[in-house]
Amino acid sequence: MSVSNDQMIEMLRTMTRIRQFETRVQEFFAAGKIPGFVHLYIGEEAVATGACGTLGATDYITSTHRGHGHLIAKGGDLKLMMAEIFGRRTGYCKGKGGSMHIAAVELGILGANGIVGGGGPIANGAALAAKYRGTDQVVVCFFGDGASNQGTTQEALNLASAWKLPVVFVNENNGYGISCPTCKSMAVADIADRAAAYDIPGVVVDGNDVLAVYEAVAEAVKRARAGAGPSLIECKTYRWRGHFEGDACVYRDDQELADWVKKDPLQRFENKLLADGLLDAAKVESIRQEVARELDAAVAFAEQSPLPEAAEVLEDVYA
Amino acid sequence: MTTVGIIANPVSGKDIRRLVAHGSVFDNQEKVRIVRRLLMGLEAVGVRRVVYMPDYYAIVDRALRGCSPQLELVPIPMELENSQDDSTRAGRWIEDQGVGCVLVLGGDGTCRAVAKGLVEVPMLPISTGTNNVFPYLIEATIAGLAAGLVASGRVPKELGAYRAARLEVLEQTRVVDSALVDVAVYNDRFIGSRAIWEVDKVAKLFLTRCSPASIGLSSIGGQLLTLAPAAPQGLYLELGYGATVVTAAIAPGLLQAVRIGRSRLLQVNETVPVGLAPCVLALDGERELEVHSSRALSVRYSAQGPYVVDVTATMSQAQRLNLMVQRGPVEADPAQ
Repeated sequence: MSVSNDQMIEMLRTMTRIRQFETRVQEFFAAGKIPGFVHLYIGEEAVATGACGTLGATDYITSTHRGHGHLIAKGGDLKLMMAEIFGRRTGYCKGKGGSMHIAAVELGILGANGIVGGGGPIANGAALAAKYRGTDQVVVCFFGDGASNQGTTQEALNLASAWKLPVVFVNENNGYGISCPTCKSMAVADIADRAAAYDIPGVVVDGNDVLAVYEAVAEAVKRARAGAGPSLIECKTYRWRGHFEGDACVYRDDQELADWVKKDPLQRFENKLLADGLLDAAKVESIRQEVARELDAAVAFAEQSPLPEAAEVLEDVYA
Repeated sequence: MTTVGIIANPVSGKDIRRLVAHGSVFDNQEKVRIVRRLLMGLEAVGVRRVVYMPDYYAIVDRALRGCSPQLELVPIPMELENSQDDSTRAGRWIEDQGVGCVLVLGGDGTCRAVAKGLVEVPMLPISTGTNNVFPYLIEATIAGLAAGLVASGRVPKELGAYRAARLEVLEQTRVVDSALVDVAVYNDRFIGSRAIWEVDKVAKLFLTRCSPASIGLSSIGGQLLTLAPAAPQGLYLELGYGATVVTAAIAPGLLQAVRIGRSRLLQVNETVPVGLAPCVLALDGERELEVHSSRALSVRYSAQGPYVVDVTATMSQAQRLNLMVQRGPVEADPAQ
């Protein structure tokens, strides 16, 4: 598995973009400028970046309630995303979906999803359609450790295997389903162990190492495109923020967070590229500044965009 | 009191070789069952105390939910980092405490990590990994017996164990890492998912042992000659050019044709420069060290590897000494 210099630098840019996007959302939510709930992806950037880095423009993803990172990594427009999170008419869902429902079908983003475990059946549907059409598209289905305990996810794994669908199930095991640690909700410690029950490969990777995620998902994508069916990649990671913004996190101790902050996936990758001589400190700083300017523009676009009109409340409503 | 250690790696058997090859699935519950059988074997030969590495799956604690051996079980006092360093630190603690023997559950990578902490304590490695060259594919009950017999001295270490060779990675004269079976000079720039399966990226290969019946990188040398684990010679191969092509089982279910250029035997304490930078050094089949251009490393073939229990030799000695045999008074044959 070879990764070019340009690919690595682009991965760093994507991770930086996710980190800064989430930091802005955190600030504006605290300032009361964002309605509804937001679930931030800080600390998990390597998973979305590594996984989506293996996909082409016509491939699909299904996302979760913690979906900003997935959407950015799949090419989501920062302005339209920020506008949607701000509840503005110019957003991806005309301001009526908010953080948990951003979709951009034209980019292969089949939606963030407020239903835990909601992505698996949708991923299978898209994969079945691709198989039926005879294309080589694949679907990456992101899901969390909480979702892995949902029947929908297990049913999706089963059917994807039985029908050899081109789905890569990418599990983000961040250790907690809302406030419940996985050791209290799961009889096994490794979600990848469950793959054997469906006769598919199950692999554990370091979810804070973007290249490890990239390598594993790339092999799974290759396998799916070749018609060999689904795989399950479990990425061990950690969310730095609470389940939602405003979560007091009384269920975990500060030391645990501090230990994971030491494993910061962004800093770690930055350090590697510096050590490899692919970048110098000035170039890293210029990437940060360029991304900051993109986000300035996204926030300005969101703040200057209008709210939906009351008369539009029943438009684009399907159920 | 005879004490035996157990180090069971909860991570072994889950790497990318399930995806790129046909690696066996080794879930942690199977490791729990193996530990139960080990405990039965240990108890049967008089071991009374077991120290064990704690782990996130609580393999030994779970094992005790399904059996009640007359053993004192004591977790090693250590903070887990959930990395391979846990196994090394547990091995070092066991060495410092003078434990009689340590049972290791894992693959080549786990054995390497534990061995880095050992000097005199013999290890008995049981395969629960992927490429299993160093650890034994063995019934755990028998492994428990053998470990207990060596730990108690009923089978002396010099009869029941051998000293393995190892490969030391040197930076000038300092040992920065080591391997038990193989060191591969890998032509890439990142560690990533760790395992090795693209053999065309292996430029050089150092082996402590090889056999035509083994798997992994050492199977490349194994198609040319056999080197026993304790042999006084290792093997150095340059790959990717040359007229000799061998078909080798690089990973479970994955056979590849490998071109072999220069090759020669290594003598004890012989040192060979890595000679490629940047590169990655893979130790016992896992990418471990990213080597940048400024770093000059070399590899030394050493006879100072860990002591390893030879299960067949140990049980044969037990047979010779009737250690598992009790003889009472001669009874009349009831059929007469």
